[in-house]
Amino acid sequence: MKPELKFVDIISQQPKMQKRKNDLSSFEYTYRAEITSMYQLTDMETLYRIQIVNPEERRRFAFIPGQFLMLEIPGIGEAPFSISSSPSIHGEVELCIRKAGNLTNFLSKVGRGAIVGIRGPFGTGFPMEEMHGQNILLIAGGLGLVPLRSPIAYVQENRSHFREVNIVYGTKSPQHLLFTYQYDVWIKDDINLNIIVEKADPSWIGSVGMLTDTLMKILEGRDNEFYHNTYAIVCGPPVMFKFVCNMLNKFNIPMQKMFVSLERRMHCGMGKCCRCNVGSTYTCLKGPVFDYWTVMNLKEAI
Amino acid sequence: MKAKESESKTYLGIPLYRPKVAFFEFSSCEGCQLQIINNENTLLDFLSLVEVVNFREAMTEKSDDYEIAFVEGSITRNDEAERLKKIRKNAKILVALGSCACFGGVNQLKNRFNNIEWVKKQVYGKHPIDTAPVRALEEVVNVDLRIYGCPIKKEEVEKIVLHVVLGKSIDIPKYPVCMECKANENICLFDLGEPCLGPITRAGCDSWCPNNNAGCWGCRGPAEDANVGYMKKIMKEKGFSEKTILERLDCFGGFAQFPELKKKGKH
Amino acid sequence: MIFRIFEKKELKNLFEILAAHNKVVGPVEIGKDKQCNPIYAFTEVSDFNSIKLDYTTTKLPAKRYFLPFHEDLSTFRIKDNNWQKTIDYNADRPLIFFGLHPCDINALNKLDKVLLHSVFPMPYYVAKRKNMFIIGIDCVPQPFCFCRSMGSDTALHGFDMFITNLGTRYFVEILTDTAYNFLKNIKTEEPKEKDHILYMKSAAERNKKFTAKVDTTDLAKILDMEFQSDVWKQWGDKCLACGTCANVCPTCYCYGVEETVDINLKSARKTKMLHSCNLIDFAEVAGGHNFRPERHSRLKYRYYHKHRGFVEAFEESLCVGCGRCGESCLAGIKVPEVIASVRGGKKR
Ligand SMILES: Cc1cc2nc3c(=O)[nH]c(=O)nc-3n(C[C@H](O)[C@H](O)[C@H](O)COP(=O)(O)OP(=O)(O)OC[C@H]3O[C@@H](n4cnc5c(N)ncnc54)[C@H](O)[C@@H]3O)c2cc1C
Ligand code: SF4
Ligand code: SF4
Ligand code: SF4
Ligand code: SF4
Ligand code: SF4
Ligand code: FES
Repeated sequence: MKPELKFVDIISQQPKMQKRKNDLSSFEYTYRAEITSMYQLTDMETLYRIQIVNPEERRRFAFIPGQFLMLEIPGIGEAPFSISSSPSIHGEVELCIRKAGNLTNFLSKVGRGAIVGIRGPFGTGFPMEEMHGQNILLIAGGLGLVPLRSPIAYVQENRSHFREVNIVYGTKSPQHLLFTYQYDVWIKDDINLNIIVEKADPSWIGSVGMLTDTLMKILEGRDNEFYHNTYAIVCGPPVMFKFVCNMLNKFNIPMQKMFVSLERRMHCGMGKCCRCNVGSTYTCLKGPVFDYWTVMNLKEAI
Repeated sequence: MKAKESESKTYLGIPLYRPKVAFFEFSSCEGCQLQIINNENTLLDFLSLVEVVNFREAMTEKSDDYEIAFVEGSITRNDEAERLKKIRKNAKILVALGSCACFGGVNQLKNRFNNIEWVKKQVYGKHPIDTAPVRALEEVVNVDLRIYGCPIKKEEVEKIVLHVVLGKSIDIPKYPVCMECKANENICLFDLGEPCLGPITRAGCDSWCPNNNAGCWGCRGPAEDANVGYMKKIMKEKGFSEKTILERLDCFGGFAQFPELKKKGKH
Repeated sequence: MIFRIFEKKELKNLFEILAAHNKVVGPVEIGKDKQCNPIYAFTEVSDFNSIKLDYTTTKLPAKRYFLPFHEDLSTFRIKDNNWQKTIDYNADRPLIFFGLHPCDINALNKLDKVLLHSVFPMPYYVAKRKNMFIIGIDCVPQPFCFCRSMGSDTALHGFDMFITNLGTRYFVEILTDTAYNFLKNIKTEEPKEKDHILYMKSAAERNKKFTAKVDTTDLAKILDMEFQSDVWKQWGDKCLACGTCANVCPTCYCYGVEETVDINLKSARKTKMLHSCNLIDFAEVAGGHNFRPERHSRLKYRYYHKHRGFVEAFEESLCVGCGRCGESCLAGIKVPEVIASVRGGKKR
């Protein structure tokens, strides 16, 4: 026998019908996806509707609210974005993207019909089914409304499964408000929409102040029955969710029923590059959605 | 030297901006400009991305109509400062090309001599000219982009120009040369008993000097968060004299803002 | 496990037979330092005499063969507004590693846990790892080796065969049938009782030579408790944030990804580059916010990943105690000292 090693081809050796999480060939595989429409929401943010090109892949692509995906433009870059659309639509997602740098600036120049690559979905999501039969507080600061739009869509589609639903949404100014065109429908679906801006302009007739003021009004004077049967989803800058969660905690809403979404640098989304670690926890695997108890136990989280 | 007049290029369907660029030099060796035209393999591709309207090294016709000005060299005379201000006015983007332009480069060494008259005599001999202390470009005008190195690395210039044209952000490494040196699997100069500024110098040269068995002289200036103070201490503990250390740190002027250098000894 | 024993000269025969048909990587001397001590490195070898089997630790591990410093994850062909992605795992042939120390074998075993056996296995690593044939060799502990504290002083798996120097002969542990078949090409014998005794004696001798130690008792918990400790600031003041510790570490695997367009605009690539958590931009995000702006917070995170996070996930730390990081760190930041100071808490 010739003492020669045989080359092991790892892809042909792996069993068929793998799950994406243990399929070697899916690691770097990107779905080709088309930007079917784009809609400018503010100066900085644009909503992109993106559809996977291959019908078979489209059928298989499903996600849960709170998960994110990696969007790639060849040669330009790849970055994580929260999926901001209804989980009941397969193979098509909406992403609301703020111009922040390299990739996102380039993205603002591409047109309808452009082909991008997407990988995912990745990470944990909000446990929507666990929330059935409960009150829900959806609390967003600024761009934090983007990841909340997916659970909101879920609530709308399953409205009968939830009790009282409140959205508390704060931004710097009225020009920063996202998804204004949807507010009427949310209200018609019996979702209480509480919007507050830090600085009004002459046309603004709503509340002015801090998000926590509005939240206080909703929470005050409720009974324990309400507090104990309420879930909260909080998205926004770290300082904001710290204040909000502390307030919720004072009203005895259990920490395991508050969910936040963390943002860190991410280069892989699959627990390999280590860039997303908080303390020593992978945000891309164990998060981005964490319950507040877990966040309290993470070093470096806030 | 003119690239063929191609219709405007695109990348993934996005039309690219083809800027008019001009190259200028002040007090320097013009080595940086040479680097750019030295690159036969990619020169044509490079020239098709931009429209060169002014290039001292390689053309006779010149124009003042440009968007990006690459400026090499440091400012040593007042008339140079005036010329630079004019360039600044014409250019949308002013790029400091090379260590001289970024920090004063080797030229700034003469600032260490207090007696400027003496320097004038030494350097310019019998033809005294108007010479003020050496200044980096940004001491005279606003600089939009810096391309570090002495000389610059042509690949880096190409990459930066390509990124401007594509509208990509320009990312120059923030970490130090050691990162590249280790990836190149060099023997560390300190193991050989030689000094090296790799741990505090901005990477991007692909550890040019250590690859050639020479310690880094810091031509690309400090890395972000460079721990100059402790590096000095380490070099001292390794037996290098204050003079050796300061000579290195001083050489290209990139470390001038560090307090460790301001307290420097007399020369 | 199957054991054999063979005369030393047979190893050369084995090498030559293997090298005739395969690419072999082994430890060689690449120079001398200023005290005239040899400097070793792993490289491709074709001549048995250039391999230094009595090498001390190499400056760099054999990492570039399974985690290259730079590697293209994919390339793109760009045509008008369309693109085609090509993925290549950058492994095209098997490699024989001739003489890895136990720490380096254990390092691979640790990497396997996160890059091969966990969710989202990384094909770029797996493709190379599955094509490694490893001949382990015993070593002489150096003053900086604390592998014994980390439980990495002996390798129980992760190699094909492991040879131990018994003076005139080599004692060999055989783990795979490939190794068993290879060994049919040279003269080997069944070890006798006296060989076993010799082997145990040599192991006991080696054990006596370990001097550096790390107390790992409750370390994960202590790191949590001492998160705010001032000792981190003291180490942070020294750290140069140069990334050398990660580059020389056989278990550090984190990376960054960069996409570039080729200057002809017809192709592009996505490149993975090993990174280090000590570097300033490790946790920096768009807009310039940095989650670990200070050197001490990054250095602390390094210990956190290795001695807490990895332990939490895999019941063992991400450090084999090879001592390379401490030896290469110009600031003299060494794992045993850092951990001792953290354990000592505020007293220091
Ligand atoms: C889980 C998650 C969900 C996100 N959802 C959204 C969203 O819905 N909408 C939105 O506009 N933005 C979102 N972001 C932020 C978005 O990823 C960054 O704005 C984006 O990476 C900026 O990339 P860039 O190339 O334009 O910027 P540059 O600053 O040029 O980024 C360079 C590289 O740094 C990394 N990086 C920079 N900033 C971040 C960041 N904040 N998070 C992770 N990596 C980063 C990326 O790898 C990127 O390639 C999300 C981030 C995370 C982690
Ligand atoms: S030779 Fe210089 S750049 Fe290279 S590792 Fe040593 S100190 Fe760093
Ligand atoms: S190694 Fe140092 S001196 Fe040499 S080119 Fe790089 S930055 Fe300049
Ligand atoms: S610990 Fe040492 S090797 Fe690591 S980054 Fe700091 S100075 Fe460099
Ligand atoms: S951390 Fe240091 S001692 Fe531990 S495995 Fe890495 S290089 Fe070796
Ligand atoms: S310790 Fe730091 S450098 Fe090493 S793998 Fe972990 S994050 Fe990367
Ligand atoms: S994004 Fe790479 S490990 Fe989390």
